[in-house]
Amino acid sequence: MAATIELRGLAKTFGEGATAIHAVGPIDLKVAAGEFVSFLGPSGCGKSTLMLIMAGLLPPTAGEVRFDDRRVDGPQTAVGIMFQDNTLVPWRCVWDNIALQLELRGLEPSRYADRIGTLLGSVKLTGFERRMPYELSGGMQQRAAFCQAMVHDPNTLLFDEPLGKLDAMTREAIRRDLQALWITTRPTVIFVTHSIEEAVQLSSKVCIVTPRPGRIDREIAIDLPYPRDLEIKKSRAFIDHVRDIEEIFHGFGVI
Amino acid sequence: MASALSSAEPAKAGAPVAALRRATRALGRSWLFIAFFVGFFLFWQYAIDLFHVPEYILPKPSEIVRRSWADRGRLLDYTWVTASETLIGYALALAIAVPLGLAIAFSSFLRQTVYPFCVSLEMTPKIAFAPLFISWLGFGILPKVIIVILVCFFPVVLNAVLAFSSLGDELERFCRSTGAGVVRTFVKVRLPAALPQCFVGFKYAAINATVGATIAEFIGSDQGLGFYIQISTGNMRPDLAFAGIFLLTILGLTLFGCVTLAERWLIPWHVSIRRR
Repeated sequence: MAATIELRGLAKTFGEGATAIHAVGPIDLKVAAGEFVSFLGPSGCGKSTLMLIMAGLLPPTAGEVRFDDRRVDGPQTAVGIMFQDNTLVPWRCVWDNIALQLELRGLEPSRYADRIGTLLGSVKLTGFERRMPYELSGGMQQRAAFCQAMVHDPNTLLFDEPLGKLDAMTREAIRRDLQALWITTRPTVIFVTHSIEEAVQLSSKVCIVTPRPGRIDREIAIDLPYPRDLEIKKSRAFIDHVRDIEEIFHGFGVI
Repeated sequence: MASALSSAEPAKAGAPVAALRRATRALGRSWLFIAFFVGFFLFWQYAIDLFHVPEYILPKPSEIVRRSWADRGRLLDYTWVTASETLIGYALALAIAVPLGLAIAFSSFLRQTVYPFCVSLEMTPKIAFAPLFISWLGFGILPKVIIVILVCFFPVVLNAVLAFSSLGDELERFCRSTGAGVVRTFVKVRLPAALPQCFVGFKYAAINATVGATIAEFIGSDQGLGFYIQISTGNMRPDLAFAGIFLLTILGLTLFGCVTLAERWLIPWHVSIRRR
């Protein structure tokens, strides 16, 4: 069951006094269950901080995050998280790394063997179960990390530039797989990115985050039909969205 | 050349053949190293005659082997003594230092008190304490063990602190997001992640352990290889001193080899091992 998320007057300041850095907020936002929302902004705008606060991994200075109308006051365990650097540990093979998510939760991985197999299949990693992370390409590692973030059937996915370090072709391929998975299972997704095209292609809603302090300048609903493949990316509507967003960032003096 | 030979053999062969092939390949890799060693001792053997070096200054390798063989009983006993001091001291040092390093990594109080104390003691030549411990505790095995502990202790603590406090942000966040408790996070993630850096300390300490035992024996003892080397040198018997040095080398190599094997077994995934 996908979660609804609400941010109320959320703000974060690092440090105190004269050297304090106002990183984020205040932000108010409502995310409906099953929405795919991107936080799109330049680097250093606090969008990663925002994601950590939403995950309950960083306390906000002001305001609150609510998941399904419950206030977040500690790490959210019903979420799946993916970072720019993956959280695969080097001493475990792909399968065992996915199992790590379950083991840390006190669950018995062997009971989830089918689910792990299905997930690996959905990201085309079947046959790589016993490979160590260092034997995989960067793209395959992120695919494995994706399975790790999904295996406990989270109701919300928090992605912090998971494709940030990948080459353009791999990014395109993983976006497609990610989208296919979202369409079938419909969790709530918060996707942090600095790629306009990526945000428009994947999201049902794009939140434009201003340069520091990060605030949501506006929310843009992307009403293109799914799945959004390469054809859609050539369409008038898609190109208009990308151009409009570029204009907004141009207005910020970012590009 | 060796690899060319072995690859010419049929692909399906029995276990003995495979073992032989492995041995040949190993020899093919290390023959230069072996040749250097053999050459070194041959040079030593013949240079003594060539340059008319008196035997009481530097004996020939063949003489060292022959005479120390005659004294093998005592040499073996003393090797056992020094080995015990080294191993007991090393094991105790690890047993105390790793938990302490762990505690320092997670306690800001210890980090501000014990940790700087350890760092400054690491700068002290621990051997300088040896005469004190001998005078306090006498000629027995205990002061030697304590000196070995002192010598091994600090590199292990410092590396353990580093090891346990350098888990990546994202991995740490990942663990927290699962709601796992302290113990489970430690067993599943923190401990394995810390092992490579811990082994840096273990290996450094293994190299120092025999040094500590030997010098402690130099300063005050009535048995052990350090004692033997000192007495032999005093009696103008460099041949026997060399035998003692040789056995100390074997002891050090054995300890280091065991630690390296443990490392390979425990962290085969680590980049320092994979790249070999």
